[in-house]
Amino acid sequence: MNAPAPLRLRTNRDDHRIAALAALAITIHIIEAALPSPIPGVKPGLANVITLVVLFLYGWRDAAWVSLLRVFAGSLLLGSFLTPTFALSLAGACSSLAMLGLVWRLNPLLQGIGFKLGPVGFSVLGACAHMTGQIITARLLIIPHDGLFHLLPLFITAAVLFGIVSGIISQLILSRLRQEQ
Amino acid sequence: MTRTAIFTRADIIVVCVAILMLPWLYQHFWGDGSRGEIARVQVAGQAPLLIPLHRSQRYTFDGPLGTSVIEVRDGRIRFVESPCRNKLCIHSGWLQRNSEFAACLPNLVSITIAGHNPRFDSINF
Repeated sequence: MNAPAPLRLRTNRDDHRIAALAALAITIHIIEAALPSPIPGVKPGLANVITLVVLFLYGWRDAAWVSLLRVFAGSLLLGSFLTPTFALSLAGACSSLAMLGLVWRLNPLLQGIGFKLGPVGFSVLGACAHMTGQIITARLLIIPHDGLFHLLPLFITAAVLFGIVSGIISQLILSRLRQEQ
Repeated sequence: MTRTAIFTRADIIVVCVAILMLPWLYQHFWGDGSRGEIARVQVAGQAPLLIPLHRSQRYTFDGPLGTSVIEVRDGRIRFVESPCRNKLCIHSGWLQRNSEFAACLPNLVSITIAGHNPRFDSINF
């Protein structure tokens, strides 16, 4: 009798790189989940620093992989997979990735007229898209009440602040990496 | 090797626009624009009663436990007296913006601030 051929997953260098970066993002995500937050729903989102760095180093496709892997693996590890929290997390990630993808496409055009966006601009736009996507998803799926939108100003304020902070950290990491090359 | 700047010019523009947008957001979602004009009061399964908020007045409603007193003043509305135990409805305080909500579950009285064309008859959680 022939033994069944062992299942082998072929991986290449790209896969390994994405996996390593996603692991880094998941670690930050979980450490952050352990920190108490003064306002429910508001947290710094420092794992997005990794998404931004990957975006600038390897492009949008890799950034999307890292971000979505973080959402899925992070929720599995925290036990929130397929819960409302997960739905909001996924909605936020998809919205910010859509925004990042759009601006990533536009950026060469902007560069042509001397207005190239750096990590800070990407970060703020991504964070605002993240929050808006989350609130709309919460309104559609979880709390069907317009009172939810009263939270929007607070959430967007937090998004802008943390977006700037994440962007600055990303830029510092990127310039450090470029120096070492 | 030159140190790259943290912000590009476009970054500064994006950050400024985002920060300038914030007061507008607060104005739009928290300001006078979102003030309601009508309160819908629902008592123990009866058809909702629409109360205009521009006329200051006191209303009494009889629920299963007793009489709830609701006050309208300066475009706002609140519970002032309730026969219930926890008085959560009274502690909800003044309601004035669209979609704000207070309820006395024991006495089956609820108030929602509504626009002129409410989209839903009721919402369940």
